[in-house]
Amino acid sequence: MSLQYLKEAVAVGDTEKLIRYVRLHLGDGNEAAGRKEIDKAWVGALKLLLDVPETDREFILKTLAERDAATLAHLFFHLHFYLVQRSGEWIHDGTL
Amino acid sequence: MQRAIEHRGIPTVSVTVALDITEHSKPPRAVFVPFMMGHHFGVPYHRELQRQIILEALDHLVKAEWSGEVRFLPITWAQARREGKAIEEAAGRMT
Amino acid sequence: MTAHSDETKQLRPGLWETVNERYPGSMITKDDFVPLAPLRKPLSESRLTFVSSAGVQPKGTMPFDVVHPVGDYSFRRVPSTSNPSDLEIHQIKYPTHGAVNDLNVIFPIERWQELAAEGVIGGLTPNFFSFIGYNMDPERLERTLAEDIAEAVVADGADVALLAPA
Repeated sequence: MSLQYLKEAVAVGDTEKLIRYVRLHLGDGNEAAGRKEIDKAWVGALKLLLDVPETDREFILKTLAERDAATLAHLFFHLHFYLVQRSGEWIHDGTL
Repeated sequence: MQRAIEHRGIPTVSVTVALDITEHSKPPRAVFVPFMMGHHFGVPYHRELQRQIILEALDHLVKAEWSGEVRFLPITWAQARREGKAIEEAAGRMT
Repeated sequence: MTAHSDETKQLRPGLWETVNERYPGSMITKDDFVPLAPLRKPLSESRLTFVSSAGVQPKGTMPFDVVHPVGDYSFRRVPSTSNPSDLEIHQIKYPTHGAVNDLNVIFPIERWQELAAEGVIGGLTPNFFSFIGYNMDPERLERTLAEDIAEAVVADGADVALLAPA
């Protein structure tokens, strides 16, 4: 989608168009694959926390308090890809 | 981008595996190779093929007569892969 | 020379349609052709530059942003004296198995160095230019990155340019 198309969707509150764009990006152009990728990332995060391991909460709270929203949103995308890579099922092999 | 460079007076040529994309974007000069994405200059270790593609592109740069002209290379992906494999096997035998 | 047999046709047909269908509005279409700039000197006296959208960059430079939903509009300078072992690839949208074995299949830096040493081309610009081809804002691409690279190519003293995508 062109950026203009997305900005118009934001203006009228058409979240379906926006989430479709996210799924396409995460799914390498395949929306169904993108849905699965989103689930995969969350399941991956859940698995890491099941045993309630020690985590660096200070770092997390500091980051959330000190960083601007765009950086945190960008981090969110990075975290998605980090988690799906960890899952061992990496779909991004470059074939269309 | 190629157009932006040509616009500044620098002659350009591009290599493409996607003829349909080239037809849409209309670069000044292009050479088409029927290869896989990620393999515009051929196959690993096939130095001769990589050179051949570059030399054809440079020759097209010199000889192209009209903007948008696409030159086609007379080699197939199957052939490139066959030759590449043979090269790899020969190297394997030598080490 | 025109293509005749099926074997010389595009390996993956309908690429423009596929990408445009998945990312509508992201593919560039032009209606006109840019006038050809003439060669001012023979190739053997010309300084060549190489521009690539394959995401190849010197180790130690900020990785291309492959996660950003709208893409990365920055470029990197790749010294034309580089060894493939000085370079790495940050890309997820094209098959890299060939390049991982031999970078020259998408970024033929060794071939350029050889041709310059042999005198086939007059020389190489101090830098080659690299970016990634995932750009969902084609207007921004044309307005910023395309112009930035074109300016950098001129500043590096290029007489001719060869471009290749991923």
